[in-house]
Amino acid sequence: MVTNVTNFSRSGLYDWMAQRVSAVVLGAFFIFLFGYLISHPGLTYNDWRALFEQNWMRIFTLLALLSVSIHAWVGMWTITTDYLTPMALGKWATVVRFLVQAFCGMLMFVLFVWGVQILWGI
Amino acid sequence: MLYGLDLSLTSEEGFAQVKDCLSSPVAKLIIWGLLSALLYHLVAGIRHLVMDAGVGESLEGGKLGSKIVLVISVVLILLAGVWIW
Repeated sequence: MVTNVTNFSRSGLYDWMAQRVSAVVLGAFFIFLFGYLISHPGLTYNDWRALFEQNWMRIFTLLALLSVSIHAWVGMWTITTDYLTPMALGKWATVVRFLVQAFCGMLMFVLFVWGVQILWGI
Repeated sequence: MLYGLDLSLTSEEGFAQVKDCLSSPVAKLIIWGLLSALLYHLVAGIRHLVMDAGVGESLEGGKLGSKIVLVISVVLILLAGVWIW
């Protein structure tokens, strides 16, 4: 019987892959961002804005933000299904777990939409 | 963090505001804390990818790998501290 419907893709293998692909994107993004900030010690508003006005940087940032959502979902799903269990919480575990997951999902969605607004609003 | 990005990109004053806020000692400590967590997660994550590729999967390799991760993370976290202050 299928008892688990809250994982990202309904396939552990696909979740595993999504987690790693998003990890590589995030790794590249943060290493790039560290490199940029370290090589621009006296960063001005104009430099900073010019960076985010370029289309590739907007796309790269949006991709990173999407990857955060995916990576965080797989991670939070793992944590909630490991620890918010009937063994730990009793009979209300499913309700609590679902609410925590729903909250995480909402938060990721809100942050993602907000990020789109920031990137294409400037 | 997103709020900071928003503020720093919307206007010159916002950028100055974020810069001011980040120069306070408490903010620096918080940034260092966040950066430490991110760096450790990044280094440990890269180790995961290396192990996915089949390197260091033995018991000995696993122990060695975890030590390498700790050493590299500590070095990077200290460097991040130097960078921030």
